[in-house]
Amino acid sequence: MDTQPAETSTTAAVKIETKDMNVFYGSFLAIKHASLKMKAQHVTALIGPSGCGKSTFLRALNRMHDLTPGAQVEGCVMLDDQDIYGADADPVVIRHRIGMVFQRPNPFPKTIYENVVYGPRIHGERDRRALDAIAERALRQAALWDEVKDRLQRSALDLSGGQQQRLCIARAVALNPEVILMDEPASALDPIATSKIEDLIGQLTDEYTVVIVTHSMQQAARISDDTAFFHLGEIVEVGPTNQIFTHPKEKRTEDYITGRFG
Amino acid sequence: MSATTAEPAPVRGVAATGGVRVRKTADAIATVVLWAMASSIIVMLAAFIIYIGYLGWSALTPSFIFGVPKETTAGGGIGPEIYNSFYILILTLLFTTPIAVAAGVFLQEYARPGGFRSIVQFSAESLATVPSVVMGLFGLLVFVYTFHWKYTALGGALTLTVLNLPALLRVTQEALSSVPDSLREASMALGGTKWQTITRVVLPSAIGRLTTGIVLIAGRIFGETAALIFTAGLSVTANKPYDLNPFHTAETLAVHLWYTHSESVVPDVDRIGNGSALVLLIMVLAFNVGARLIGRALTKRFTGRSS
Repeated sequence: MDTQPAETSTTAAVKIETKDMNVFYGSFLAIKHASLKMKAQHVTALIGPSGCGKSTFLRALNRMHDLTPGAQVEGCVMLDDQDIYGADADPVVIRHRIGMVFQRPNPFPKTIYENVVYGPRIHGERDRRALDAIAERALRQAALWDEVKDRLQRSALDLSGGQQQRLCIARAVALNPEVILMDEPASALDPIATSKIEDLIGQLTDEYTVVIVTHSMQQAARISDDTAFFHLGEIVEVGPTNQIFTHPKEKRTEDYITGRFG
Repeated sequence: MSATTAEPAPVRGVAATGGVRVRKTADAIATVVLWAMASSIIVMLAAFIIYIGYLGWSALTPSFIFGVPKETTAGGGIGPEIYNSFYILILTLLFTTPIAVAAGVFLQEYARPGGFRSIVQFSAESLATVPSVVMGLFGLLVFVYTFHWKYTALGGALTLTVLNLPALLRVTQEALSSVPDSLREASMALGGTKWQTITRVVLPSAIGRLTTGIVLIAGRIFGETAALIFTAGLSVTANKPYDLNPFHTAETLAVHLWYTHSESVVPDVDRIGNGSALVLLIMVLAFNVGARLIGRALTKRFTGRSS
């Protein structure tokens, strides 16, 4: 994208930031006063026990809660210097800039090719050659090209679970988003497929900012630069991953990463 | 495990053996009974087809299938009746499908639970309980008496539209609800609008089930009688048996079957009745088989799935 020329070079630049964000389901306060800075071209991992709100937090970052009846987000989420919940923000544009990969692979029941070019198509790209180029680039970035280049017109549903998940990543990067949100992207996969996804996430930070929810602390330790620990809807502690796992400042963080609860 | 085997076994063993024998017998009986019940469905269908086929087979001559019916003499055919059956079926589907699919999309994809959605749902369920003969009388009052159309194919088709709308609405809703929400989320997360998500993901994913449902209902429309007696009429135009005008009197095959057996004075009633029944049966079975084939083909076409 041509809109942010300089800031990607400074590694510590903040790409997306929540400020005092609350998320409600009806009257239930699921996320309490969450403030978090996620750096450009870094992997930020969100960890915490089941039900701690990490997925709820993630889905607030691309306005997916708009689709859930009764869900409400307060506070602001800054993407660069734009509040994505601001009056002038269009969720369609926001989701073009912030892609998402879900817990279970959810390819469309279409061909592999049609899955990858779905995003560009709905945003108006019609040129066949442009679409072909996008498909190849996205599939290469998702480390899937060599496996599927000879069967792009076959159904995506015939792929294995791990391949389907990498296809979903390709589908997300086809739009050249600035941020990619991942909600436990490997939790439904076997160890080999998981390690492929983890390798891939490492490569994605060359171009993209990644925010990933994971229930696996080993995974967070392996792939992330920063880690935020969630508990009961609050961000307990955030810092460089190394420091969180070796010298946590908060008692609750230490209890969680040493396995005393969770 | 080892603890279990080390326990003093004899008493428990004897008791268990007795219990096992009783339970195994009960299981065997249940299996046989349930299998027999399931098989009886096949037997009933087969007996039905064989009997109707045996009676009607000799009547299936070209002059019967393509000929025009006779009022008083033997040797009448059912050509115009077959034509009218398809004519009314197609007209009915042309009216019903857009309304039912649009309403179904609204109810499943747009409407929030409660309020308007409950009212539409309740209305459809109430409409579904109206007997077809009552719907026929309604059609008689509206199209024949109030609009002065006389007995017409259009009046019959509109009556059948009201009659079959609830079923088609249900088919649409079931087809849409079979599409997993994860696909809708995937499309929305890529910046798709609701309309793009529906037209590019939801409907193509549902098209197989939708088509299967529509063709199954088409089979029912093809066999409908009571609602058409008072609306589409009991005769065909003598000098123009294959009329394209929707305002022509249009006796269908199913109505013809009822008519020949109850009102007609032709001497070969049994031949016409048996032959019509067989043709009707073949048509309806063809719709059922066709529904599956078309549904499968469309699913493959729209989803790229090879199986």
